[in-house]
Amino acid sequence: MSKRSTGTPQRPPAGGPAKTRVGSRTLARQARQLQARGERRRPPRAPLLRIPSFDPLSMLRRVPRAAWLCALVAFVNAASWSFVSPPFQVPDEPSHFAYVKQLAETGRFPTTGLEKYSSEEEATLSALHYNNVRLGPANQTISTSAQQRKLEQQLELGNRLPKKGSQSAGVATSEPPLYYALETIPYGLASGGTLLDRLQLMRLFSALWAGLTALFAFLFLREALPSVRWAWTVGAMCVALCPLLGFTSGAVTPDSMLFAVSAALLYCIARAFRRGLTTRSAIATGLVIATGFLTKLNFVGIAPGAYLALGILAVRGVRRSGRDAVRAPAIAAAIGCVPVLLAEFIGKNSSAEVTGGASGTATGSLLDKLDYIWQLYLPRLPGTVNDFPGLSTARQIWFDGYVGRFGWLDTYFPGWVYTVALILAIAIVLLCARSLLAGRAALRARLPELAVYAVMTVGLMGLIGAASYTLFPVQAASFGQARYLLPLLPLFAAVLALAARGAGRRWGPVAGALFVVVFLGHDVFSQLQVIARYYG
Amino acid sequence: MSRVQIALAAGLAGIVLAVLVVLTGSPVAVLATNGVATNATLALANTKATACQPGERLPKGTRAIRMSLGSFTGPAVSVHVYAGGHLLASGEHGSNWAGQTVTVPIGLVTRTVYPVKVCFAAALVRGEALRVDGADTKPAVAARSAEGEALPGRVQIEYLTQGSSSWLSLLPSVARHMGLGRAWHGAWVAFLALALMIAIATLATRTIAGELHE
Repeated sequence: MSKRSTGTPQRPPAGGPAKTRVGSRTLARQARQLQARGERRRPPRAPLLRIPSFDPLSMLRRVPRAAWLCALVAFVNAASWSFVSPPFQVPDEPSHFAYVKQLAETGRFPTTGLEKYSSEEEATLSALHYNNVRLGPANQTISTSAQQRKLEQQLELGNRLPKKGSQSAGVATSEPPLYYALETIPYGLASGGTLLDRLQLMRLFSALWAGLTALFAFLFLREALPSVRWAWTVGAMCVALCPLLGFTSGAVTPDSMLFAVSAALLYCIARAFRRGLTTRSAIATGLVIATGFLTKLNFVGIAPGAYLALGILAVRGVRRSGRDAVRAPAIAAAIGCVPVLLAEFIGKNSSAEVTGGASGTATGSLLDKLDYIWQLYLPRLPGTVNDFPGLSTARQIWFDGYVGRFGWLDTYFPGWVYTVALILAIAIVLLCARSLLAGRAALRARLPELAVYAVMTVGLMGLIGAASYTLFPVQAASFGQARYLLPLLPLFAAVLALAARGAGRRWGPVAGALFVVVFLGHDVFSQLQVIARYYG
Repeated sequence: MSRVQIALAAGLAGIVLAVLVVLTGSPVAVLATNGVATNATLALANTKATACQPGERLPKGTRAIRMSLGSFTGPAVSVHVYAGGHLLASGEHGSNWAGQTVTVPIGLVTRTVYPVKVCFAAALVRGEALRVDGADTKPAVAARSAEGEALPGRVQIEYLTQGSSSWLSLLPSVARHMGLGRAWHGAWVAFLALALMIAIATLATRTIAGELHE
């Protein structure tokens, strides 16, 4: 294309005077053309909000093959877990199922937090010996042909009952509706089958969110750690093989969707810090925030970090290119707020219900509450009352919980497994620290972004702690479950990627390969542990 | 063969070897129970939980004692078995367990002893109650608190040992069991889970081998 056609001013070529004269003439001509064009066709004023073109197919084509493979591994892993975990032997699955059943069969939300489900669900739970198996490590699932026949009769009978859901959905009642609304699709597709057919299809649908979690973890690493490509695959593959992700996403629970939405949000934020926030990415970020609010109340803990990111991006943009730069972050913030405003307007899911229907028992002061939250994660400060005597919360609740507490948290490994895992974790942390130390100059430049991730982490941990405190001391740490921290999985993936890099240029890929094998082994033995617990 | 491929191959071989070692082991089996049902909550301990139950029979071969104690954030539990005032066996289970029972490993018991007194003590986490389950009995044979006060009944206790059958020999029954109580029943469910695990391992290692160039 000629210079004239583009109208782009060109740098004059270096050379002799003749050439310079030609160059000057060309420049002058171009300048005149530009001026004339400007007079004839003044560029229109930028509209307040221009919806950019959206081509999802080309976006998907730009996703690396390795990211898709990580997503596939995560999906297959969660699908495998969905066959390994017995029906309803995953925390709160009966309540989440009841919510979907009510929504699918009546089009209405559940209204009470009682654990009194529909006749069909209650009868199935009874035929599965649910109450004996749940929290009863000595009791296994049904094991005789007679019990199976009774279950089948019950399922057949249940199929003939009028489909009218149940007003009660236990702890799920206060949750936002998006995950449940989406789960009505597999529920409807399997509506001709038994209740267990519906549950299995819903579980497989849930497993898709595990795939998305790994995909966004990969994309997050690509933006956050752009320099070493192979480390993206290591981090995302470890996420894909994470047993707790497979276990949770292989069941009916909005946590599965929350993990994916949070991973998407972290990707959006990392991308915005690296490439800036365009109108299109701002709309996408806003939609992700809105989706988070509609998915699970725990997102309330993550959202402040997202809004901090938008604030930082706005300030940074204003400094660089003036007030117009506020527009994109404002768009994202406004879109993200919509569900909260709607909820306030409708009056459902107010912030008072963040605890998921927990009945408050704790009566301490704000200081007591903060102290409790602190101790839920860290050793207590001098001069404070020990809320967890005999318990190392960081190690026993969070680390051991991550390594392996399956079923209704009643299925775990022998004690030595956690000690070995701790040694491996310390090695990973040391390698990560080495990597961070080597790149400390680059870290300093990214402090605002790191502050955002820190606020998201602290926000989520604070929310979990505050929710647990409402049941304290009747239950010491009712929400002290490692799965609640999985929305931060992409950050965990970053730690692993950094640790692999920390092994050095020569041994980094080998360390990365070993991490993946360790995660694979962890996943295999976690599934075997569950099989031994329920069917052994 | 690159270093990455060697690491992957060694890791996979390690996993396969570990699985084989586990399969040659045997699961825990119930050697005997004290015949007490769990149809009553005998106590909800809030501050301290210490009790002893006389008239128990400690069978030869016992390696662990399972007690019907329930909690969500379970405290550390210790168990002591006495015969005529002499300590025969003891063990401890760490805190943060969840469930309706807790299994406390004790050393291998080499001979059957009757009668023995089984005592348990729990260092309670602040506020969270420990539930003691069992069946109502006459006070004369009931378990007693540390102060000598009779509980409403006896606690259910199971005596566990290492089973004689290996996991390997139990595979057909495990596969059959896995196929019960779910949407699509049949032993093929176990093989499907196995196939999915193999697919995961293959996909993950191939991806890593392809992406990680030295």
